[in-house]
Amino acid sequence: MKFMENTKINFMKFKTFGFGLSSAMALGSVILLLMGVNLGIDFKGGTAIGVSFSEEITIEEVRNSLKTVSVNDINFDLSAEEIKYFGSKSDVMIKIKTLENEPENFGQVIINHLYSSLTNKAPDNKNDFILSLGSVSPKVGSELSGKAFWSVISALVLILFYISVRFEFRFALGAILALVHDVVITLGIFSLTGFEITLSTVAAFLTIVGYSLNDTIVILDRIRENMKSSGTVMFESTINKSINQSLSRTLITSLTTLLVILVLLVYGGEVIRPFSFTMLVGVIIGTYSSIYIASALLATIYQNSK
Amino acid sequence: MDNSIRNRLLTILFVFGLGIYALFPSLRYAMLSDEKISNLSQEEADYYDAKTIKQGLDLKGGIYIVLEVDLPQLVNNLAKNKDKNFDLFLDELKNEYNSSSGDFFTVFEQLADTKDLKLPRYFINYGKTKEQIIAQLSLQSEDSIRRVIEILQNRVDQFGVAEPTIQKQGNNRVIVELAGIQDSERARDLLQSTALLELMIVKDIESTNALIRQLDSITSTSNEKVLNNNENEINELFDATNSGEFNFSSLLISVGGNLAISSKNLVSYKDILSQDNVKQILDATNSTILTSNSPIVLVNEIGEEEEFYTLYHLFNNAELTGGVIEDAQMRLSQAGVTAGQAVVEVEMNTEGSREWARITGANINNRIAIVLDRKVHMAPVIRSQIFGGGTVIEGLDSIEEAEDIAIVLRAGALPVPVTIAEERTVGASLGADSVSKGTLSMGIGLLLVVIFIVLFYKMSGLIASFSVMWTLILLLGVLALLEATLTLPGIAGLILTVGMSVDANVIIFERIKEELRNGKSVRSAIDSGYERAITTIVDANLTTGIAAAVLYQYGSGPIKGFATVLFWGIIVSMFTAIIVTRFVFDFVTSRKNIEKLSI
Repeated sequence: MKFMENTKINFMKFKTFGFGLSSAMALGSVILLLMGVNLGIDFKGGTAIGVSFSEEITIEEVRNSLKTVSVNDINFDLSAEEIKYFGSKSDVMIKIKTLENEPENFGQVIINHLYSSLTNKAPDNKNDFILSLGSVSPKVGSELSGKAFWSVISALVLILFYISVRFEFRFALGAILALVHDVVITLGIFSLTGFEITLSTVAAFLTIVGYSLNDTIVILDRIRENMKSSGTVMFESTINKSINQSLSRTLITSLTTLLVILVLLVYGGEVIRPFSFTMLVGVIIGTYSSIYIASALLATIYQNSK
Repeated sequence: MDNSIRNRLLTILFVFGLGIYALFPSLRYAMLSDEKISNLSQEEADYYDAKTIKQGLDLKGGIYIVLEVDLPQLVNNLAKNKDKNFDLFLDELKNEYNSSSGDFFTVFEQLADTKDLKLPRYFINYGKTKEQIIAQLSLQSEDSIRRVIEILQNRVDQFGVAEPTIQKQGNNRVIVELAGIQDSERARDLLQSTALLELMIVKDIESTNALIRQLDSITSTSNEKVLNNNENEINELFDATNSGEFNFSSLLISVGGNLAISSKNLVSYKDILSQDNVKQILDATNSTILTSNSPIVLVNEIGEEEEFYTLYHLFNNAELTGGVIEDAQMRLSQAGVTAGQAVVEVEMNTEGSREWARITGANINNRIAIVLDRKVHMAPVIRSQIFGGGTVIEGLDSIEEAEDIAIVLRAGALPVPVTIAEERTVGASLGADSVSKGTLSMGIGLLLVVIFIVLFYKMSGLIASFSVMWTLILLLGVLALLEATLTLPGIAGLILTVGMSVDANVIIFERIKEELRNGKSVRSAIDSGYERAITTIVDANLTTGIAAAVLYQYGSGPIKGFATVLFWGIIVSMFTAIIVTRFVFDFVTSRKNIEKLSI
């Protein structure tokens, strides 16, 4: 199959447009992020429980049942907490923020409460009722946030170092900016969807960092190779040539990767969905950015340094 | 066949063989029927256990729990001459520590400095200067976490879970992982129960009445607020017409010769007991008031069922504690009113038996309360001196509860309470669902990638598909060899590897195509295509490798599983793309002169 062979697209002609689009998207993302990200219990603490009823149940029923949860004769009103379906209409996921006077084992208390108050729709064995229970104390949450933040930063620094050694600092600068661009925009789109950031989405973000760089490096490698023969004269055309030469590879690899991610998104189940979605967005943005951010920045840097 | 090709073939066959060999136990295990699995001998089970790919808790179901030793409580337990100042300091310490991510003793020292708290005043047994005291206290905390781990290990071993893991995290946390646990509530109770057994003498009626009068005299004036919340219940119970006469005794009723309190009034009861002047009175009379373990259900005047807890007025110092226990067993009671109920029989060591004989001898006709975790399980009257160090704990709800209490009594009491800092429980059904969905996704993903790549590269695409399949087999083999744990994110990593490992092949093929377009022969196009592609492949993959390594450092459990798969996926896919597919190309072109490459 002939595909994107011998293309001669003048990518750099649209450089300014690309910068504009990226800046707009990045700015929009930053604004969205400043308005608040939906942090999961992993990072802000709280309790998340998943329960499986034996038949379909409405969110309202669950909400009503959570209006009064009594523990040691103190009543808690949990009807304002986040309640949503989890995969099917009989499975429900409930997220509860850390409460000030939270009793011990609150998650189990809530499960017990739901099991007894909605008993006609609950399975006979209570162990079949519990899908999952997660609870994170605010202290652990803040520790995990710190770790997640530093892991992304240290990955970026290590990669910057690696590219500086393998290529040169100017290449590294473009690559890292492309990475930051990818992570910020993916985060922005992510926050639009209402998915929440959990440990596994951080894993997805780090994978995007690695993946998007993979793409960038293939192109940078070509640029470096073509520079040997053409030097820095006509730098834009060297870049264009390099992008065109690696274009079919970029597209085919992105397509196979997107293919498996789509499969994961459709068939992989509810637990892994935020991860799959992050990867999907990240791969698309990453492919775009290796052309329009990393290479275009390189062109701009070289032009200015001449 | 020339030498280079033969050597490469041998290397590749060796690696493939190793991969299959490593995967073999996992494959065999997967083929076994459920029935056979349950009938495995210990030896076989151990073999499979060591050689198969392990499933993480998120796939198998189970609980992952991080317990935190309650250091503020430990400090409180160690302090002497506590006063109001110290209580305030402790409250603030708790808040400060829980909202910071710093080390406990750093926070402790800072707060002691800012509050100007004279540490030697409270911790004179641990040193004369602040530095000495803090050093000693932190030694104490290390010691108690060691004991906590030991005791948890004992408890879990006796609970009978397959492959429990218990490990220390940082300096005040313990991670416990229990796979395949069905009843997470029971497991959690077992871990968290302090299991402090105390035998305490019940005070007589005269001193109880005196205490209540004393408490009444201070509570009738100070409980306006408490009263308002509970007015209705109190009126129902005591028909108190004048709410101004509310006091401690108005919360109480008499049930079968004991004082009892309605569950509705527990909140106000706790409020009263936490008041400073009430605490002072209790301290001065060496008293403590504890409630019974389980409530009695009575029908009140208006025909409603109401729960009442019995109150016990006890000497504050325990005559004996759980330290003297030699053995504890669940039994079904044979005789008396409790026949058929589950009880726990406790046996004491020699020293404990001697003490027990002395105590029972000295307190004939007094009542002795058997207190577990500050809840009174029973308070029988001592009829005669007891020799031999045996006693029985009654008043348990179920056989399971009795079994668990026997376990925790045998394993020993925790030196300091533990709280749950983090918990992740996955039900077995959700885990199994994740496995089947993950496997399905992997199958579909692999199929689509193969179709796609064969459409694009024809015969060469077939070679690439072959290499992707081997990537997957070898990667699973590596996981089995490393005894790595496969988690749900790990499965996602496997699927990603299927999509991403094609990349190395694609880079090579595109290069070869380019060389062919430039007019090179098939043979030399393959050679120079591979040569030029290699640096790109290594550079591109290493960066993903860096990200995977960072992730491995940062992550816990499921995330580590993902990082492992990602990292080895890169290594293995480079091997299959650079060595294996190259070999296939060379092998095919070495046998006959191919004019046109199907690529």
